[in-house]
Amino acid sequence: MEPGPLMLVAPRLLLVVFAGLTLHLSLFATIRIGDVRPDVLLLIAVAGGIAGGPERGAVVGFAAGIVADLFLHTPLGLSALAFSLVGFGVGTLQSSVIRAAWWIPPATACMASTAGILLYALLGALIGRPEFLEPRVLAVAAGVGAANAILAPALVPVMAWAMPHEPDRSYV
Amino acid sequence: MAMSRRSARPRFTLLLLVLTAVTLLTLDERSGGLGVVGAMRDGARDAFAPVQDAADTAFRPIGDFFQGAVHYGDVEEENARLRQALAERDGELLRAEDAARERQALLDQQDLEFAGDIPTVAARVVVGPASSFDLTVQIDRGRNAGVAPGMPVVSGAGLVGRVVDVSRSRATILLITDPKSSVGVRLANSGDVGVAAGRGSRSTLRLDYVDPATKVDRGEAVVTSGLQQSVFPPGVPIGTVVAARSGAGSLQQDVTVEPAVDLRRLTFVKVLQWSPAP
Repeated sequence: MEPGPLMLVAPRLLLVVFAGLTLHLSLFATIRIGDVRPDVLLLIAVAGGIAGGPERGAVVGFAAGIVADLFLHTPLGLSALAFSLVGFGVGTLQSSVIRAAWWIPPATACMASTAGILLYALLGALIGRPEFLEPRVLAVAAGVGAANAILAPALVPVMAWAMPHEPDRSYV
Repeated sequence: MAMSRRSARPRFTLLLLVLTAVTLLTLDERSGGLGVVGAMRDGARDAFAPVQDAADTAFRPIGDFFQGAVHYGDVEEENARLRQALAERDGELLRAEDAARERQALLDQQDLEFAGDIPTVAARVVVGPASSFDLTVQIDRGRNAGVAPGMPVVSGAGLVGRVVDVSRSRATILLITDPKSSVGVRLANSGDVGVAAGRGSRSTLRLDYVDPATKVDRGEAVVTSGLQQSVFPPGVPIGTVVAARSGAGSLQQDVTVEPAVDLRRLTFVKVLQWSPAP
């Protein structure tokens, strides 16, 4: 994280992560098509990378992942590992974007969320949860990617508010 | 030089985060979900429970509206099915006394214990599956209400799953359709036993170890076997057979079972305060 604004950023980030968790466990637990639903905490990691760059993206992803792990029946640290890598990847990608366009955040959220679910499943399989790599994982990843793409335009500005000192080439 | 140091910092931060996550994973694996890690989870769930309850109350109507809109066809179909079922029940009511006698006789014949004798804890499902992978639900009763890991969970129609994690005010239920779930079962007609395994989606179960020579009928009831060391009491309905076929040279039949409980629309469940005989 950049030095200086930590006192401002940390409380805002906590607020966003816990608001995201609340929505994830209540509203978005009921909004599902088939077995697929939006993954708000993964989207927070993606939006963190979009709004804050690689370093902040990784930190936000780690925080969102730890919170997810505390409420899922999955090994503690699995979501944190996957989400921090996703946040870092998105942040690295966004720092190479030169032109701002309205469709870039949803497209990034779609691709990054799809990749995030696949990464989560792969890491899960590596630590002894082979059932995560069942055939439907591709459909789940695509569904989460589509759902998160719809939510991204609403969440990315929230993350930009939570982390006001944006990197020079952010496209938010 | 300063530029190089600056560009290396995000990677260094990522490395620290990855190492922290791997350390947590190792700790969780070593402790088996208990100890410090278990205490962290329990504390987080208990602390967040009031917020979750309030949010659930506030957002439930929106979720119901969405489910109604998305699954309008299903709702209409279910409505028609329920009307038909109600009409059939009116007729069946007349035969209820005789059916109850027959059922008791059948239970006695199959040496099944009546699940109703087991003390229960009624609970409300407060959180559906928290991710697209996670086939668990959370209920609003925990250790304080007498819920313990391993206890079976049922609804009026049959088996829902078993308790896998408990905090003071919450418990996590592993649904029978989760790939990690396997239930010892018995086919009602033949009496053959097998294992009902989850497939990872909340639709059907796969029945393993059924002899190819066994005649398995479509619509045949499947109940928990309750064999020695089984984690479920005997006679709890699991579902009905929807497909069965034997491949040439196969050592077992491919049997598919549709769960008796609609696991997509769980609202209230009962935890059976039951543990297998030692």
